[in-house]
Amino acid sequence: MATEAQKSQVAAKWQESFQRLNADAPGIAGLMSFSEAWAISLNYLHPIDINSVPLDPNGMPYGRDIDRARPAFSIVSHRRKLPSLLESFLEEMRDKFYLVEADINHCMNAYEAVNSPQPLQHLVSRLMLWYKAWAPPPEFGATLFASYTLSFHTHLFSSLPPSFAVGFKALCSSLLGSPPEDPDGSSHEILIQKYDPGDHPEIWRQFEVLGLIERYESAIASVAYERIEDHVLSTCTGEWGKPMLEELRSWMTDNVVPWMMHVYARGASTPEEAKSMLHGAGSRFDFHINKTLCDLRTSEIFDIIIDFPDSMGALQDLRDCLQRVDQRANLVRALRKSNAKRLLHPGADTRLILQQYVATIKCLRIVDPPGVLLFKVADPIRRYLRERPDTIRCIVANLVGDDDSGDTLVDESEPVQPLQQPELEDYGDPNWEPEPIDAGPEFRTNKPSDVISTLVSIYDSKDLFVKELQVLLAQRLLAISDAGERVERERRNIEILKIRFGESALQVCEVMLKDMTDSKRIDVHVQSQKASVVHPTIISRHFWPALESSDMVLPGQFQQLQDEYAREFHVFKPDKKLKWLPHLGTAHLEIELEDRTLEVDVPPLEAVFIELFSQKNTWSLDELIKAVGSVTRSAAIKALSTWVDHGVLKEDPENTFILLERAEEGGVSRGYRPAPTAEEVPPLMTPQDQQAEQMRMYWKFIEGMLTNLGTLPMDRIQTMLKFAPGYDRTVDQLSAFMEAARREGLVVVRDGMWRLNK
Amino acid sequence: MKVAVKRWNAVAQWRWDTGHAEQDDDSEGDVCGICRVPYEGCCPSCKMPGEDCPLIWGECTHVFHMHCLLKWIGTAASKQQCPMDRKSWVTAERKIGTTAS
Repeated sequence: MATEAQKSQVAAKWQESFQRLNADAPGIAGLMSFSEAWAISLNYLHPIDINSVPLDPNGMPYGRDIDRARPAFSIVSHRRKLPSLLESFLEEMRDKFYLVEADINHCMNAYEAVNSPQPLQHLVSRLMLWYKAWAPPPEFGATLFASYTLSFHTHLFSSLPPSFAVGFKALCSSLLGSPPEDPDGSSHEILIQKYDPGDHPEIWRQFEVLGLIERYESAIASVAYERIEDHVLSTCTGEWGKPMLEELRSWMTDNVVPWMMHVYARGASTPEEAKSMLHGAGSRFDFHINKTLCDLRTSEIFDIIIDFPDSMGALQDLRDCLQRVDQRANLVRALRKSNAKRLLHPGADTRLILQQYVATIKCLRIVDPPGVLLFKVADPIRRYLRERPDTIRCIVANLVGDDDSGDTLVDESEPVQPLQQPELEDYGDPNWEPEPIDAGPEFRTNKPSDVISTLVSIYDSKDLFVKELQVLLAQRLLAISDAGERVERERRNIEILKIRFGESALQVCEVMLKDMTDSKRIDVHVQSQKASVVHPTIISRHFWPALESSDMVLPGQFQQLQDEYAREFHVFKPDKKLKWLPHLGTAHLEIELEDRTLEVDVPPLEAVFIELFSQKNTWSLDELIKAVGSVTRSAAIKALSTWVDHGVLKEDPENTFILLERAEEGGVSRGYRPAPTAEEVPPLMTPQDQQAEQMRMYWKFIEGMLTNLGTLPMDRIQTMLKFAPGYDRTVDQLSAFMEAARREGLVVVRDGMWRLNK
Repeated sequence: MKVAVKRWNAVAQWRWDTGHAEQDDDSEGDVCGICRVPYEGCCPSCKMPGEDCPLIWGECTHVFHMHCLLKWIGTAASKQQCPMDRKSWVTAERKIGTTAS
């Protein structure tokens, strides 16, 4: 049972509430008027079905009388019953929201049917109508309005199906211009032109009012991202000639920024304000441009390097992009991968690999001046080149301009400078800078050095180059028939190379060139004493690469010519004599046959053979070989086939050759093998051959120690060989040699112990 | 058939005519007893072989690079002797054509 106190408390409350509702009106008149005002207010706010009630131009349903409602509101507000009013209004709205949902479903179905954003646009405007029609008038104050908006949004978002997000993206994208899935460039252009930044402010305002922008911000941003990617890929792929970044930026300013204004700068009143609001989003989009372009160029990098220097623009772009986007590791990975796939395989010519390597050096220096990228990319190439047997020859051939293709690795404009040795770090350098952050532990800050230094540094020592250079020069000099201009050219080459490799390294080459000019001088003198058809090149032994020796015997007039010349020489230089290298050089012959006369330039062996045929008309191959001394059978056949091709000899029957005093009908050479008249390089020993030759000498030692000591392990052999004079091989070279000996059946190996094969 | 040689670009090596006839056929050749470099090479202080770095013959039949020998003779320890046989050094007159075979 209620106590007295409780009763009085209830009575007081009642009195107070009554007082508030009734105000100071007599009786319950106040209460009556409040009740009436409540009803009017609620009725005014009642969410109507916009399908059945006509709307006025403001989006408000007809028949609402704000003048009648206003006093009612003020009464409700006065009696502090607004919260209750709001509550019941929102309740009513929830009950009526099925109307909106019906609309949404209808439009979404339409959207899914046509798969175009058109129905969605309609949906948005419908939603807008609902929103406006249900909105409480401003007289109710901001609080009421805000609660209404929040509640409307909540209901709206909960009733939007998941597919709306996709559709909304498509809608935004259509507002931006052409949809991204439109692959047709021409219509793309048209749409872009059609697009007017002033368009659609209305719909953007609607988005904003409906809270869609806030909710789907990431979707909107992704629309822009996709558009950027699309544009970058379509405009920049394969366009390496000029930097594209600026163009892309201005494209963004023209096309994307106005669109962004709606999204990110909504509500901005002044341009400055808009600018500051756009700043965050703008830099995000700019980053995205950089990233997309960077990814694109990374995927194209191999071909960009091939196209260098025509791809300068792309490289500049890449450099600028890499400064903003951290994709350096990606670039290195991509380039290494495509190098491994497209360059460093047996099918690629060494010359091409070198060219690509040089281009890579030049390109990556543009992209990354400190050289970290280059260092990482170059390493596999250098390692691969080191394994190729003809790398040195290629580089050297290029150095002396002996390349058929004409494109040299070396830039003519590049200043000639000495090879750079890897220098020690200068600890006192005031301009010292730390190594770049992504430099590996092996990275050395190599100062940008010239291409030749870089190429030569593939190998540990430059001696190999000098040796190869010597061989190459010898080949070229001996192939020269009339000294003079060519020798001068070689001299010029050597002078340039001297600057690179150092004076002393090329001393030998200097002697070779001097021999050439001396020979000419001596020849002039000898000819003045006693004219001769012989014009020898007199070379200094020990300064030329090892020339294969030959015991070829010169028959008939050749021997005679040589002897005469040698005699004259001895008169001119009493303390010197000549030793002929009969297999080298060329002879210009005139061959007089019964019906024709031939003039030919041939190597000595060919000349000797034809001379033999002037003794008798028929020779067998074996007779010929015997007559000239030691020549290999294949060389002899080759020499003879030259004459067969000239139609001077005929092989009939096999291995028997007949002189054709009269040309055979139809020409003999027809149907015969094509004339191998390509100029032969003089038979010089390559450095590899020389090494093998030397190794043959050491074989005697090895044979001796294995005979005396039975079995030996490899390292013992190596240790003992070190006592031999001039032995400078590594264990690896020795084991390669021993392996070769094993293949020839000279030695056997078991458990790492070598012994002679008896 | 008649074969006429119009021009022949032959290749030959020069050797010093040391008087040891034909013994150097295809062998490595003799070396200077002082610098151990072949006669056809040049002494350590020269760069060009041949006339720029000639040989010198002694009465004792020993042959050296001229520069090498002069340097040796120039030192006090040499006592003007041939480094090979310690006879006093006398430069031989080269008789032209002695070894022409």
